[in-house]
Amino acid sequence: MNLRKVTTEAKLMLIGIPVLIWTMLPIYHLVLFAISPKDQAMGGQLWPDHPTLHNFEVVFRQQHHYLNFFWLQMWNSLVIAVATGLITLMIATGAAFAISRLKVRGGRLAMNLALLTYFIPAAFLAVPMYKTMGVYGILNNQWSLILAMVTIATPYSIWVLKQASDKLPYELDEAAKIDGASPLQLFRLVYLPLMTPSLVAVGTYALLLAWNEYLYAFLLLSSERDITLGVALGNFLAADDSPWELLMTTGLLYALPPAAIYYTFKRYMVGGLTAGAVKS
Amino acid sequence: MASVSFSNIEKSFGTTKVIHGIGFDITDGEFVVLVGPSGCGKSTLLRMLAGLEEITSGTIAIDGRVVNDVESKDRDIAMVFQSYALYPHMTVGDNMAFSLKLRKADPAMIAERVSKASKILNLDPYLKRYPRELSGGQRQRVAMGRAIVRDPKVFLFDEPLSNLDAKLRVAMRAEIKALHQRLKTTTVYVTHDQVEAMTMADRIVVMHDGRIEQIGTPLELYDRPGNLFVAQFIGSPAMNVVSGTVRRAGGAAHVEAGGPVHWPLDRGPGADGQAVSYGIRPEHLTLASNGDGVPGEIIVVEPTGAETELLIQVGKEQVTLRTHGRPRVYPDQKVHLTVDPANVHLFDRGTGQRLTA
Repeated sequence: MNLRKVTTEAKLMLIGIPVLIWTMLPIYHLVLFAISPKDQAMGGQLWPDHPTLHNFEVVFRQQHHYLNFFWLQMWNSLVIAVATGLITLMIATGAAFAISRLKVRGGRLAMNLALLTYFIPAAFLAVPMYKTMGVYGILNNQWSLILAMVTIATPYSIWVLKQASDKLPYELDEAAKIDGASPLQLFRLVYLPLMTPSLVAVGTYALLLAWNEYLYAFLLLSSERDITLGVALGNFLAADDSPWELLMTTGLLYALPPAAIYYTFKRYMVGGLTAGAVKS
Repeated sequence: MASVSFSNIEKSFGTTKVIHGIGFDITDGEFVVLVGPSGCGKSTLLRMLAGLEEITSGTIAIDGRVVNDVESKDRDIAMVFQSYALYPHMTVGDNMAFSLKLRKADPAMIAERVSKASKILNLDPYLKRYPRELSGGQRQRVAMGRAIVRDPKVFLFDEPLSNLDAKLRVAMRAEIKALHQRLKTTTVYVTHDQVEAMTMADRIVVMHDGRIEQIGTPLELYDRPGNLFVAQFIGSPAMNVVSGTVRRAGGAAHVEAGGPVHWPLDRGPGADGQAVSYGIRPEHLTLASNGDGVPGEIIVVEPTGAETELLIQVGKEQVTLRTHGRPRVYPDQKVHLTVDPANVHLFDRGTGQRLTA
């Protein structure tokens, strides 16, 4: 290794280490609270004297009035996130295919109009959305949150998928057409397999967006049995004597599924799937 | 196998007309090459035959059936693309079987056709591989295999060799020609490379600016080009063309190309005083052994082994001479050129059309 390489690496380290610490600090706090007994949680120690898994037991057994529906709320979060991911994928894939491959008239305009909605902050749309869901009569129904999340996730997803599908060589469509493929067969047998990495990325994006959502979940759902775990976590802060150690334990558990999802799907997010299709 | 006929084909993209009324027939089993410089409309014509472009006006018929409104998949054609367009997520075998699977063909029949095609193309060892694991030439063969298994009425090739390196191109050229001799399927082949056109075609259609310049067998085009464009497009190195005026009065007939430069002419076409383009192929120029002939000065000597090409300044113009063997000449040497008037091509200077007696 020569000197220049060493200095380059040193500079990168100089940036990297603070960033790492900055990122890890909240997680460290989360873990610290989760393994501390109640009386020591706010003690300001770097590591508890008697680390314990007791908090996890309380959460898993739902032994606190804030946690009466822990498992149900975790399930709610999961159902809503997965449904949002799948529905967004279905809509965005269809739209991207129509705009990018079938070149439907007005497709680009529709996409740009959809993207235009991002000029309005989602928070401003919360009240109109609440009203709309009221008109549909699905307030306090999880479908209202799923639909709201799909609405927010779709424009960006369409755009990402459209960009990705523009990169697929058009000759493949023509070859398939001459080989006798109908548009649906083209979609299913050629387009979808080649779009897999982008589909996984977009699906994960929509799923995590819904999993992390607080404002809309808080507004649209109110029954303790319907709300997501994220909203339930917020409710911990309703009282003066919040059980911080339980809040942090639940928070830690809440953070695990996204991490698991990310690592499961990461291997599908690879480039180079179209290698060998056409001479580039 | 089938005949193909184009009649009065026109094509516009928006307000830009790119093909201006083209008509010709291809007979059953014929290998026809559409050739011309880029932008001449040859690929567009092929894509209209393939059903990938709308036909603005006119009709295309395959085996007597007008196919203007028939979808690509129902035209019974197979196409090989310049970029191969292989399905990257399928193995070589699946790529070849794809069209038959879509048609719900009998699996045993599919297997048989794929194995037959892969034997013809020497792709047997690669059936389980993916396109990304193949070389350019192998990919091109897979693209051909995909066409062969269909056993279509017409093969369409859209510049299939342009992406290959020079050596492989020559090899694949021979393979495609051999394939056609074996299968005898009507073939329409598009290329911008006149050498490909000359070596492969039964008949060549030379196109330029959306029009047909000339149709004929390779040697017809070479020996009797109908106009200046074809004369200069077909043949490598290109035909020498010199501007001059026909002189028939007194002495031997010749074309006067400025000063003492007199290119010989025989009785044939060209009236006295007519402005013409005088064409002579490089191999029809010879160095005079004595002092007779058209005077010139050698600029460059290019030996290629079997042949030698000389670039020679004659009057205001430069001409190329090609000769077998290795003449002992050097740059700046004064030489004289002789021409057999029988090999001369005369074109009208204004219209570029060939002058015939």
